[in-house]
Amino acid sequence: MGLKKGRKPDIQPVEKQSRSAGRNFEGLKQQLLSTNPSERRWAARDLAIHPEAVEPLLQALSSEAEHSVGIAIFDSLRQIGGEAVVNGLLTFLSAEDAFQRNAAIEVLQAMPEGVALHIIELLNDRDSDVRIFAIDILQQLAHPQTPEWLLSVLKDETHINVIATAVDRLAEVGTSDMLPALKALKLRFPNEPYLDFAVQTAIRRIGED
Amino acid sequence: MQAASRPKLDEITDAEFERFKEYFYRKTGIQFEDSKRYFVDKRLLQRIHSTGHDSFRSYFTTMRYQASGEELQELINIMTVNETYFFREEYQFECMVENTLNEIMRCKKPGEEIRIWSIPSSSGEEPYSIAIYLLEHWAGIDKIDIEIVSSDIDSKMLDRCRRGIYSMRSVHHLPKKLLKRYFTPVAGNSYKICQDLLDSVSFTQVNLSDAAKTRSYRNYDLIFCRNLLIYFDDASRRQAAEVFYDAMNPGGFIFLGHSESMSRISSLFKVRKFAKAMVYQKPLA
Repeated sequence: MGLKKGRKPDIQPVEKQSRSAGRNFEGLKQQLLSTNPSERRWAARDLAIHPEAVEPLLQALSSEAEHSVGIAIFDSLRQIGGEAVVNGLLTFLSAEDAFQRNAAIEVLQAMPEGVALHIIELLNDRDSDVRIFAIDILQQLAHPQTPEWLLSVLKDETHINVIATAVDRLAEVGTSDMLPALKALKLRFPNEPYLDFAVQTAIRRIGED
Repeated sequence: MQAASRPKLDEITDAEFERFKEYFYRKTGIQFEDSKRYFVDKRLLQRIHSTGHDSFRSYFTTMRYQASGEELQELINIMTVNETYFFREEYQFECMVENTLNEIMRCKKPGEEIRIWSIPSSSGEEPYSIAIYLLEHWAGIDKIDIEIVSSDIDSKMLDRCRRGIYSMRSVHHLPKKLLKRYFTPVAGNSYKICQDLLDSVSFTQVNLSDAAKTRSYRNYDLIFCRNLLIYFDDASRRQAAEVFYDAMNPGGFIFLGHSESMSRISSLFKVRKFAKAMVYQKPLA
């Protein structure tokens, strides 16, 4: 007993057990439906190199109950990227499952160009939660139009929670030309102390620059 | 871009420092105390000048919305100057012998061994520190076999690890009796680690971003991956988390650097707070 010495590390050969079987696209697609979570997880990971896997991965996501498999699916979708992934993940912004919603937001944040095409539509969604999620996406979205989109929320949005979320984000990225729109909110919502505080913070922050 | 006639920016204001500090913390989990102000300001100004900006605001906005994230990565690299030495962040080794190994031991069946993966090897101080700590501070070592594997992307570093020669600076945190027990003084004011320890760690070359290579790393009970993920971008961090998850046995633990947080990277692991350290655990099946 003790520290093992002078031997080659026990690195498991890759081509072993059932995972070595059917590692092509069709085989992996089938394994996404396996009853074994570990097999589904490996299939999801390995599908990351198959651009045609977007649809089966999205389908699997809808019914996947195992957390570690869900994460692998989101990660593969992120690696594949592209319009089909963006379109598919946007539908998860309305998902009941908080993990799915948040993971979808995180992946979308990593796809600025693809998401940019949908931001206006999301900011106008009928569901105020989806509009807030759209602002959550903007929080980390590395896109030059982000401040402009946030400004449009200040001007056009009516739901107080959505506006407050946008003000919160603008505290970090706002510029002095947004001050009038921020000040106008105080007049529009004179009896909302939380919003008033958020606006003051944003104005102070922008003023410091 | 900076106009030729404009004076070179030479100061970061308090408000700018606060703003940068908050942003950097949110992106990396690294918190700068006010005592680090000079260090941070100096490096920020260096990057502002190198990228041709003439104000903090212009630099910060560009970095914030740069799709590639290259500039943020540059900043991370210069803000996290790294050095390694024996027994660095020793409280984690204490946690290893006082908590995690005992939990793992309880789940082992007769004949099974414990496997530890230390990545990156860097120049070898970490994997050898683990070995020394086990020999010196964990009674369970008499009852079970332990395999230590250490990996790095850099083959030259692996060669250094295998040679096992260390400067005075590398060993300055080691108690004298351990230095005497496990090292021999050699030319150039250096120390060579003993053959027993050299033989106790297997070194392998691996790139964490190489899915094909990393998938053969399986069945580890403990992983040490300290102060590496901070240098990765978000996507690579997530991929690394996936690799670690699949490399670990259920119930296994992963130690990250003190400024790193798995919770910010992936929800695959459970946070475990022990008396001396916070560790991340792969849920038991």
